[in-house]
Amino acid sequence: MDFLSDTVVLSRMQFALTACIHMLWPTLTTGVGIYLVIIEGLWLKTKNPDYYYHARFWAKLYALNFGVGVATGIPMEFQFGTNWAPFSEAVGNFFGSVIGFEASWAFMLEAAFLGIMLFGWERVNPAIHYLSTILVAIGANLSTLWILTANSWMQTPAGGEMVNGKFVVHDYFQAIANPFMAKSVLHMFLATLETSLFVIGGISAWYILKNRNIAFFSKSFKIALAVAIAVAPLQIYVGHLSAEQVYHYQPAKLAAMEAQWNTLPAGQPANWSLLALPNNKAEKNDWEIVIPKALGYILEFKEKLSEPVLGLKEWKPQDRPRLVGLIYYSFRTMVGIGFVLAGLMFGSILYWLLGKFSPEKITEQKWLMRAWMFTAPLGFIAIDTGWIVRCVGRQPWTLYEQIRTVDSASHIPASNVLVSLTGFTVTYILLVIAYLYFGSRIIRRGPRFDLPVPGTEITKPAIDTTPGEFVPDERPVEAQQ
Amino acid sequence: METLSYFLPQIWFGILALFLFLYVMLDGFDLGVGILSITSSTEERRSILMTSLSNFWDANETWLVLMGGGLFGAFPLAYGTILTALYIPITLMVFGFIFRAIAFEFREEAKRKLFWNLAFGVGSFTAALGQGFALGAVLKGIKVDPEGHFIGGNWDWLSWQSVLVALTLIQGYVLIGSTYLIWKTTDELQETHYKTAKIAAWTTLLGAIFITISTPIFYESARNRLFQQPLVYIFGIIPVLGILLISQLLTSLARKQERAPFVWTILLFVLTFIGLGLVVFPYIIPPEITIYEAAADPSSLVIMIVFIGFLIPVMLFYNLYQYIVFRGKVTGGHYGE
Repeated sequence: MDFLSDTVVLSRMQFALTACIHMLWPTLTTGVGIYLVIIEGLWLKTKNPDYYYHARFWAKLYALNFGVGVATGIPMEFQFGTNWAPFSEAVGNFFGSVIGFEASWAFMLEAAFLGIMLFGWERVNPAIHYLSTILVAIGANLSTLWILTANSWMQTPAGGEMVNGKFVVHDYFQAIANPFMAKSVLHMFLATLETSLFVIGGISAWYILKNRNIAFFSKSFKIALAVAIAVAPLQIYVGHLSAEQVYHYQPAKLAAMEAQWNTLPAGQPANWSLLALPNNKAEKNDWEIVIPKALGYILEFKEKLSEPVLGLKEWKPQDRPRLVGLIYYSFRTMVGIGFVLAGLMFGSILYWLLGKFSPEKITEQKWLMRAWMFTAPLGFIAIDTGWIVRCVGRQPWTLYEQIRTVDSASHIPASNVLVSLTGFTVTYILLVIAYLYFGSRIIRRGPRFDLPVPGTEITKPAIDTTPGEFVPDERPVEAQQ
Repeated sequence: METLSYFLPQIWFGILALFLFLYVMLDGFDLGVGILSITSSTEERRSILMTSLSNFWDANETWLVLMGGGLFGAFPLAYGTILTALYIPITLMVFGFIFRAIAFEFREEAKRKLFWNLAFGVGSFTAALGQGFALGAVLKGIKVDPEGHFIGGNWDWLSWQSVLVALTLIQGYVLIGSTYLIWKTTDELQETHYKTAKIAAWTTLLGAIFITISTPIFYESARNRLFQQPLVYIFGIIPVLGILLISQLLTSLARKQERAPFVWTILLFVLTFIGLGLVVFPYIIPPEITIYEAAADPSSLVIMIVFIGFLIPVMLFYNLYQYIVFRGKVTGGHYGE
């Protein structure tokens, strides 16, 4: 248990924990933000009150996420100072500025208009309200832009150089538009949107399975599916581009992602390992299942590699990532989920084209609806495993090939970090449990159709939805499935 | 170039002071209301208290996020050194924030509210306490080596002076929270907070007097600063203005005015802030490191003025706008839908 007295390891664990847990909530707010823009736009265009009730219902989930996102995000910002002071000092010139940009461009916009979006229906006119919804979505997604810009710069530092232990920026726009930036921003943008779509689709599927407000939730289900048609395949392609840039800029990370210990020369086909047990000490895989000649196709869509794939042994052990197994399996988990989600999307489209989502038939698609329910959480797992690949794979560097992680940590007593890490662990477990408990309660209660629709004299309930329809399920939770 | 490396850090000191002030004022009443909620007699009252903040608290807290980001970018050395030195109070504050935020999210949904009431009240109190310790420790001074890196001990932040500052800050938050509630509520609830405002005005005054007198006695650097020409005149005026404002505040409370107490309290905060700013300036890590030593490169400071500075009026405008949208009294205790 040496790590309990190692400030660097504890600080890394604390940052990893806070980052992984924090990431879950903004994922939904950025993605659902866009969904709310679509839904409210449809309401303004069609004046169909169903879309209004949708906007209210999904906004409630948005609100639940936002506060927790803020609460879990603040610890991360402060950790740069408390736990990573030498890093902060060295990169403040660029990295610090970008954190400031995020707060001023993104957070403030989102936080200030969120109140109007959630509670302002009767206080502002529909146009201003819609503008607020749009600004909230823009704010949330600008956050993705700046955070991914900052992190991409840590992966491929550009626009300046290290002088006396500090990064001096020569060209800010080059630093912002660093090699990783564009594709990483796009990859994360699509990830939050895709995850949110499958959460919305999954929750809608649950209502359809439960025979509750079927016509109403068919709408949200179909909108989520329709947007996913574009998003899910595009994400796989952008994911491929992201791996390609790792291949060029961070070969050690690629070697860890593929558990490749020996260099594969250019001009030849190469095997791709599907599953393996990497052994860091012996510098080999204890066992592996390989698909012959597949790696060239995966990286470059052709049989022979045009550039060598460097093996981990090309680097000294202290210059390459150590947690090869974690990186290797995280990568496979993320990619696997990407394909599962895209596959489900294609299957569902087929059903849709065959007319099986008509109001009479949609309730018969029990297995498909169950599949949507069970894939709903997968996007979150893909996002966290993706970040693990990205940031554990970057080790042993915080600023790639410029500043080492061990030199980045504050010199503070390990006991401090141990106590705060324990505190975060306990708090976050409580937080996740409470979130799931109250989130599922909101879902079980369902949308409220008794809310007054702005701009209508007499509010009539929408087509097949009557306020009295929902009878609270009093059975124990286990029996409700 | 020389003047630039002189002016730019000063501009950023000013911008960060503005962010910090907006934070202390706005989240100050949030935290104050949170602390007051501990003493609320009924669930209904507590609900109204939380409803009065529900639209605003996250934007208010964002001023601190903004201040943190700005400090990180403009004075990276100060960001690292101060936060490292204040590991424990900052962690206290962060946990306080987490519990307060989840109370906002979950209390409304919960059937049994006790835990979430505590999360809200104690979370607000803890956050305020952490901030008070941090402020006290920075005013007292942080031990650094010639490069400006922290070399002090783990518990340096804890002293009778920082305890005094923390208690006074909490009183100040309770005061501004009470006067905010006087503005936003009616009837019995308003009555209660006329009383709490009055008590808090006196306790804040007491704390402020203690701090004002003890600072020049115990700190040589502050003493030198206070008796410097021409600052000595300003420091002479501040306590006089302070007494004047407090008496105005007490008068407005006695006359049961609804908005004036809040305005007087804000002016008191402004005054205190100017006083503290003048004591600290030009140091960013008192008592050794100045803003010029801790500043990022001039090019960074310029780019940050372009990317952040020009947004300040926009941010102020839309924050003000949301306060206008949600103006008026809070009467019901349901903010969920």
